[in-house]
Amino acid sequence: MPHRLENPKSAPGHRLSRMRELMVPRRQSGRQILRNLGLTLLLLGAASGVCLLMMNSIGNSDSAVPLVFVLAVLVIARLTDGYVYSFVASIISVIGVNFAFTYPYFEVDFTITGYPLTFLTMLAVSLVVGMLTEQVKRQGRIEAEAEKQRMQANLLRAVSHDLRTPLTTIIGSTNAVLENYDAFSDDVKRDLIGHVRDDAQWLVRLVENILSITRIKEGVVQITKQSEAAEEIAAEAVAKFKKRFEGVTVRVSVPDELLMVPVDATLIEQVLINLMENVVLHAQTATEIVLRIRRQGALAEFAVEDNGAGIDPRVLPLLFEEMFPHAQELRGDGRRNLGIGLSVCMSIVRAHGGTMSAGNLPSGGARVAFTLPMGEE
Amino acid sequence: MAVKGKVLIVEDDRAICSFIRRVLEANGYEAVIVSTGREAISLMASHCPDVVLLDLGLPDMDGMDVLKSLRRWSLMPVVVVSARTDEREKVRALDAGADDYITKPFGTSELLARIRTAIRHTRTTSANEAIARDNRFTARGLTIDYGKYRVYIDGKDACLTQNEFKLVALLGRYAGRVLTYDYLIREIWGPNKACDNQILRVNMANIRRKIEKNPAEPQYIFTEVGVGYRMIEGD
Repeated sequence: MPHRLENPKSAPGHRLSRMRELMVPRRQSGRQILRNLGLTLLLLGAASGVCLLMMNSIGNSDSAVPLVFVLAVLVIARLTDGYVYSFVASIISVIGVNFAFTYPYFEVDFTITGYPLTFLTMLAVSLVVGMLTEQVKRQGRIEAEAEKQRMQANLLRAVSHDLRTPLTTIIGSTNAVLENYDAFSDDVKRDLIGHVRDDAQWLVRLVENILSITRIKEGVVQITKQSEAAEEIAAEAVAKFKKRFEGVTVRVSVPDELLMVPVDATLIEQVLINLMENVVLHAQTATEIVLRIRRQGALAEFAVEDNGAGIDPRVLPLLFEEMFPHAQELRGDGRRNLGIGLSVCMSIVRAHGGTMSAGNLPSGGARVAFTLPMGEE
Repeated sequence: MAVKGKVLIVEDDRAICSFIRRVLEANGYEAVIVSTGREAISLMASHCPDVVLLDLGLPDMDGMDVLKSLRRWSLMPVVVVSARTDEREKVRALDAGADDYITKPFGTSELLARIRTAIRHTRTTSANEAIARDNRFTARGLTIDYGKYRVYIDGKDACLTQNEFKLVALLGRYAGRVLTYDYLIREIWGPNKACDNQILRVNMANIRRKIEKNPAEPQYIFTEVGVGYRMIEGD
């Protein structure tokens, strides 16, 4: 089944329709409506309660009552979706205040001297507050959307760079062999074809990473979790890794106890492989990788340790940034790196409700670890 | 060189066909190539290949339908070629009667190993020649003694429980092939437990601790995460 890599969301037309969608109140599900209604009633009730208390304890509090209700409307506007609820709440407030908290009590009477102005002001303030809050929320949504598009653009840029380099090798080497077949010695041909294979394998890993990240970033989390044995995932990841990087020593240590974690196994394997590859690509002095799995309370911890020079402390805080800006500098020499590798790991772990951390071992090597909740699904 | 077997390749990509054909011919197999499901179905009947290498994404029909149609009249071994992403597709193919699968992109040694295993399983009437002959299965330091119901590691009894032995014995009979979780559970615990993966995992974890030096770096029984387990090929 071919997977399409192009992202329909980056089309400009789509962006427009997305904006429009944000402007129009979205259709709400029954549960949402119930929740919003509940919140509205609860807050209005609370405001009435506060006013009753004030009237009973302070006596004359007529001037404070409208303010309490304006506050309630403001909170309602903040907590509910759309401005229908704050609008309705402000009307109810105006009528309610007139009815219950102004003399003559328990009668609706807008004709008392001075009161029409008070109530009009209150209505206007409530409405404006409600609409402003809603606008701020909308603005936030649009910004989040823009942020997502920016991230995707960054990803595409990084990917196209990472694609071009190995493709250049592949096309160049194969052309060289085809055009100079008789002139090249067997050793030269073998060498060039070997490079082609290495770079093709690099492309496979890149594509796997892209597939993983698109599966997660397409808005709704697409991962399907299944209860898997941590040691089986680790074993398969290590086996695949060893096939690609012969000559790197990997030791795995697992606890005696069987740890079952609800995960998408393919994705967690991807994380482990990425972490081990990072050691090979970045820790030039590392000769051994240790993959350690252990239980930490209700969490399963996976740690990849090496015996290299460790991670530069200046880089540590940047390590899990979305696009790892540091990668751009490291990349100056054309050395491809897994700039997207770590951010893929991070997204996958986060989508599983886990956390990631990185540090250096007392012995000097680097240690990158992540934890996953073992809770029953 | 004697022909080791005839392989029917059902694949619509010309470059992939070409490389598979060269590799197979260089290793003494005869290769027949078709690019559509319809051709595949008619050639399966007329050529009677020893093994079919079936790509699931064909231009004219779903590879699964080709498999199902073949299974109506023949047990000829089928190795399914699938894309990486979907474990469920692999399980579906295995449950529909495929003998094994291989994931794109694959290396030549992996391809040859799958074809070798698939052919060997049909050439012998019993699932495994060595077991039929000596009533035991050996792979490196592992010996399964089907007569005594014992598993030995480097000559020492691994002290498996009854169900653990049944699992290892079953994997040994189909050594080299992946057996799905559902199949194993049905065979050992009966059809009613079919949805309970946990019991299988726990048993496999115990087996690993008894027969493997390091349970996370298995030598004998490999996990195909999301699909099933596979015993190493016998000696």
